Amino acid sequence: MTTSPIPDLDTTSRRRGAGWELWRGLSGRVTRLLAGLHQTWRRSLQVRVVTITLVASSLLVGGFAYLIADKITNILLDNAKTDVQLRLIGGADYAAKQFSLYSQAQEAQLQETIDGTVNYLAGGYPQQTSGVVVAITAENEDAIEPRTSPAVDVRSLISPELQAAVAGGHVANQIRTGRLTADGETTKYLVYGSPVPTRFGQVELYYFVPLTLQDQTAGQARATVVGTGAALVLLLGLLAALVTRLVVTPVRVAARTAQRLSAGLLDQRMAVNGEDDLALLAASFNQMATNLQRQILRLEEMSRLQRRFTSDVSHELRTPLTTVRMAADLIFAERDEFDPAVARSAELLQAELDRFEELLTDLLEISRFDAGFAVLDAEPTDLVPVVHRVVDRLSGLAERVGVAIELDLPAAPVIAEIDPRRVERVLRNLVGNAVEHGEGRPVRITLGMDETAVALTVRDHGVGLKPGEEKLVFNRFWRADPSRARQTGGTGLGLSISLEDARLHGGWLEAWGAPGQGAQFRLTVPARAGDRLTTSPLRLVPADATLPFGGAPASSGLLAIGPGPGGALAVGPAPTPERRAEVGS
Amino acid sequence: MRRRLLGGVLSGALIMTAVGCGIPDRTEVQIEQRGPAAETNWSLGRGLDPPTREASRSDADAFVRNFLAAAAGEPDRAYERVKRFITSADRARLQEKQGSEVALSVVRLTDDPVIKADVDSMKVTISVQQVGLLRANGMLVPPLATESTYEFRLVSAGPVGQDDGGYFVSDPPNVLLLSDEALRLYYQAESIYFWSSDRSRLVSDQRYLSSAVPAERRVSEVVRWLTAGPSEWLRVGVSGLPDRTEMINNATGADGRWEVNLDMPGVDEERLRQLGIQLAWSLPELVHTLEIKILNQPRRTIDLSEQRTAYPLYELDDGALRFCVYEGAIHPLALANESAGAVPVVAEVNRNVVSAGLRRVGKDKDILAALVVAGENGRQRLAVGRGQNGVEVLSTAESDHAKIGRPVWLRGSDGRSYGLVVADGKLYRFDDQAVMRPVQLGLTDPVSAVAAALDGHRIALIVGGALHVAAISWEGGLPAVGPARRLATSLVNPTAVDWSGENRLVVAGSAGRPAIYDVSVDGALETRLREDVGTDVTHLAAYPSTPNPSTPLAGSFMYEANGVAYRNPSEQIRREQVQDVTPPPAGVRAGSPTAPFFLY
Repeated sequence: MTTSPIPDLDTTSRRRGAGWELWRGLSGRVTRLLAGLHQTWRRSLQVRVVTITLVASSLLVGGFAYLIADKITNILLDNAKTDVQLRLIGGADYAAKQFSLYSQAQEAQLQETIDGTVNYLAGGYPQQTSGVVVAITAENEDAIEPRTSPAVDVRSLISPELQAAVAGGHVANQIRTGRLTADGETTKYLVYGSPVPTRFGQVELYYFVPLTLQDQTAGQARATVVGTGAALVLLLGLLAALVTRLVVTPVRVAARTAQRLSAGLLDQRMAVNGEDDLALLAASFNQMATNLQRQILRLEEMSRLQRRFTSDVSHELRTPLTTVRMAADLIFAERDEFDPAVARSAELLQAELDRFEELLTDLLEISRFDAGFAVLDAEPTDLVPVVHRVVDRLSGLAERVGVAIELDLPAAPVIAEIDPRRVERVLRNLVGNAVEHGEGRPVRITLGMDETAVALTVRDHGVGLKPGEEKLVFNRFWRADPSRARQTGGTGLGLSISLEDARLHGGWLEAWGAPGQGAQFRLTVPARAGDRLTTSPLRLVPADATLPFGGAPASSGLLAIGPGPGGALAVGPAPTPERRAEVGS
Repeated sequence: MRRRLLGGVLSGALIMTAVGCGIPDRTEVQIEQRGPAAETNWSLGRGLDPPTREASRSDADAFVRNFLAAAAGEPDRAYERVKRFITSADRARLQEKQGSEVALSVVRLTDDPVIKADVDSMKVTISVQQVGLLRANGMLVPPLATESTYEFRLVSAGPVGQDDGGYFVSDPPNVLLLSDEALRLYYQAESIYFWSSDRSRLVSDQRYLSSAVPAERRVSEVVRWLTAGPSEWLRVGVSGLPDRTEMINNATGADGRWEVNLDMPGVDEERLRQLGIQLAWSLPELVHTLEIKILNQPRRTIDLSEQRTAYPLYELDDGALRFCVYEGAIHPLALANESAGAVPVVAEVNRNVVSAGLRRVGKDKDILAALVVAGENGRQRLAVGRGQNGVEVLSTAESDHAKIGRPVWLRGSDGRSYGLVVADGKLYRFDDQAVMRPVQLGLTDPVSAVAAALDGHRIALIVGGALHVAAISWEGGLPAVGPARRLATSLVNPTAVDWSGENRLVVAGSAGRPAIYDVSVDGALETRLREDVGTDVTHLAAYPSTPNPSTPLAGSFMYEANGVAYRNPSEQIRREQVQDVTPPPAGVRAGSPTAPFFLY
C-alpha cells in the first residue's frame, strides 16, 4: 500500500497534455473554420455583397436607433423632470405657507403640520400609492423629525451630494436606484429636492418619483427601435441577397456556359429573358459563342480539309509511288549493267524513294493521329525484350557511326500495360536520334519502374540542345540547324509521332539538353493503362550533367545566367529548378 | 480580419443601442436654481407666555399663582411647562396624557392660598371651586373633578438659606391646574358660530384660544373648532359641519387673503354659502378674502367683511328703548340724553302691569307684548298681544299664578312667536295667544328666573339656586329646552339673570352680600359689576352687546332691588325720568319705577 507521487505528476502532466490537445484541436478547428470563411468570402460575390450590406446597414440603423432611443429616453426624462419640478415648486410653496405659521422649531403642532403637509403633498391619503414619496427633512433642526409619506425609509436615496446641494439652498435633482420598502422591487427614482424657507430655519422637501413607467416606455421604445432596426437590416440583407442573386445567377450561368464552351460544347447557349442588361449580356454572350463556334468550325473544317488533303495526297501518292518503286527496284537490280553514272543515279533514286516512302508512311501516321483514328492497343508487355529488340535493330547503324549503345536495364521483367508497337517505335526513334547525333560517343538506355509508372531514358553525349530547344524538338519538321542537309534518313516527323504515341498512352515524352553535354529524352508511361501520371521513376536531367564553372549539377538543375550588378554576368540557380519540356496527356 | 473588425463594430453598435440609451441607474446631482428664500416681513408677533418658575423669585405666594398659570399655553407642551415647576424627583408623578386627552382643570380660588412653613419645605393648601375642564380644542366643559382643596409642598430651589433661586413644587396634584385668573390672562375667549338646527340663524359658541398661539395660526384654530362641532350643551339646538369634515393641514394666507382646505363630504353650494357666513362671523378680525377649497379644489371665495354686512347676526336696527312699570302701567324712561319712545301698549290695557317683556318682530316692526298682570285676587296672569304702534288687544292666559316672573320672548325663527316665563317655580312656554304650556326640564328643582339670548336658541335659567344655561331646539316649530348645563360661579343663590352679550350673562346673586356679576356663558370668567346692591335683585334686564355695529345702549342693564330700579351700574332710576306720567297729587307719596326693561 504505497503511493508514490509519480502518478500525481503523471496525472498533472497528462491533464496538461489533454488540455494542450484540446487547445490544439480547438485552435485547429477555428483555423479551419476561418480558412473556410475566408475561402467563402473570396469565392462568393453574394456573400461579400450581403455581408457588406449587413454591416453597413447595421451601422447606419444602429446609429439611428441609438439616436432615436436616446431622444425618446431624454424626452421621457425631461417630461418627468418638468412634472416633478412643477410639483416640487408648488409643494415647496405650500409647505412654506404651512410652516410660516410657526416661528420656532419646537412649537407645538409643527410636527403635526409637517406630517399633514407631507401627506397632503403625497396625494392626501397615505394608502393611495401612486408610488410618489414625499419627504420633509430638517438638516439643521434637530427638533424636527424627518417625515415621509408613505412612511418608508428614503435615506438611502438621498445622496450626501444632493443633501448638501439642497441644504445649501438649491433646487436639485438626481436619479437614484433603490428599494424603499423591504419587499418592494429595486426601482429607479427621480429624487428632486428643494429648500423650504421657514421662520425657524430651513427644511428640505424631497420628491421621490418612480421612473418605472418611463423606464418601461423607454425599454419598449428601445425594443421597438431595435426590433425594427434588426428587421430592416435583415430585410436589407435579404434584398441585397436577392439583387445579387439576380445579377450573379446569370453571371454564373454565363461562367458555366463559358466553361462548357471551352470544354468543347460549342452549341451551349444562355437563356435570354427579357430585355434588360443581363439579357443583353446573355445575348452578346450567345452571339460571341455563335461567332466563336462558327470560327472554330470553320477552322476545324479547314484543318480537317488540310489533314484530309495530306492523307489523300499520301494515299494518292502511294499508288504511283508503288509503280515508281517497282520500276526503280527493277532499274536498281539492273544497275550493274548500266554505265556507272546511270548506276549511280539508280542508287540515288532507290535511296530517295526509300526516304520518300518513309516520309509518306510518317505522314500517313501523323495524319491518322490528327484525324483521331489512332487507337491504343494496350497489353501487358515486358519492356526489356522491347529494348533489346530495338538495340538489335539499330546495332548496324550504331556500328556504322561508331556509337556504343549501353543498356541499364533491371534484371527483373518490367511489365506494363502498353502498346508494344508504339513504344517500340518511340524507342527506335529516340535511340536512332541519339545514335545519329551521338558524335561517336556512347548512348545509354536506362529503364526504370515504380508502382505506378515505367520510364525509359535515352542519353547521348552529342552537341546537346540549346536552351529553348527542348520543346522545339517535338515540332514537326523541326531542325536544329536548318542549313544542314538531310544526310541521314530522318523525316522530321519522328519525334512528333513519338510524342503522339506517348500522349496516347497517357504518358510523357520530355527532353533535356545542354550545349556540349548532349541530351537526354525520357519516356514515362503509366504502369496500368488509363492511370494518371504524377511522377516519373527516372530523372530527366542526367546525373552526369555538369554546370558551367563546375557547379554541382545534379541537385539543383540548371543555373540561370543573367545580368548582374555592375554590368557583370551573374550566375546562380535558375528560378525553376528543372527546365524541362513537360507534355502531359 | 476585416470581417472580424466589422463584426466587432456592428455588435458594438447593437450593444450601444440596446444598453446605452436607457434611463441611467444613477446620475450626478443637477443643481437647477436657488430655492425660494425666506421672506423677512413677518409682521405678526407672538402672544403672551405664562411666567416661568424663576419669575416669582422668593415670593411663595406669587410662585403658587404662577404655578397655577403654568399650564396655560399650547396644550401639547402643557405638561412640560408644568413639570418645570416640579422637583425632578416628583416629575414622574404627574402622569402625562397625549394629544387631545390633555385637559386643564380650571379652578377658581375661593380663598388665598394657605402657605405654612414646615421643616424643610412649605405646605400649600389651596381651596378651589371647580369651574371646568379646558380641553385641548379650547372647549371649557363642565368639571369632572370634585376636589375643593389641593395640597402640595414647596421646596427651595437654591441652597439652604437662599431663597432667590425660587421654589419647586414637590408632591404635586396629579392634574394640570389652571386658575381662572390665568385663564383670563393667557387665553382669549373667542366666539365661533354654528348654524341653528333649522339653519335659520347663527348661534354663538365660546372657545378659549391660548395667547401663546401666534396670530397666524388663529384661522386654523378657528376652522378646527368649527370642524370639531359645537359644545355639548348646544348640540340639541345647533348643527355642526357635516360629519367627517376635516381641515387639510393649516389655513394659510397673508395680506388679508386666506385659504382654507377642507375635506367635507356631501358638500353643496348652499352648505358652502352657509359655511362662508359662518367663517365670516367666526373670524371677525379678518377683513379681506377667504378662499374655501374642498379637497384642494377652489370652491368659493368670500369677501369676509362683505359677508358680515350682507348677513348680520341679529336684526337690531333701531336700537333699544328703555321702559319701566310705574304704578301698574308701562312707561318709557328718558335717561340723560337718550330719546324716549312711546308707550307700546294702549292705555286701555296698560293697567295692573307687574312686569313685561316686549320685542319687535317682523319687517313691520310689530310689537309683541307679554305682560304679567295682577288680578283682583292678588294672583297674576299672563297677557299677550301684538300691535303695530300700540298693542290694543291682549289675550289673557287661562290660568293664574301666585307669582309670575318676567316673561321673555324667544327670538327664534319667524313664524309663530313663543316666549318663556317662570310661574310658581315652573317654566312655561307661551305663544302669542297667551296659551301657557309647561316646559319639560331635566331638573326637578324650582325655576326662579329665565333669560333668552338674542339668537333665540340659548336660554339662561336659575334652577334650584344655581345658574344654568341650556339650548332651545325648535322641533316642529315649538321650542323645547335641551339639557341644562350648570355653571360654576362664585355667586350663590342667584336671583336674576339676563344676557348681556353673545356669551355673557348678567347675574345677580350673593357673594357674601348681594352682588351683580358679569359671567361668561360657561361660568369661568367673572366680572364684578356691583357688589353693594344691599338687597337681593328681584328683576334684571339687559340689552346685549353684539358684534354688529353697536348701538349706544349695548351692554346696558337695569335692575330692581328692594323696589327700586337702577341702571348700570348703580345709578338709581328716579321717578322724574319716567315719562308720560301725571305728577302725583301733592302729599301723596310718589311710587317708584319698577321692573325696568328694554324694547328692541
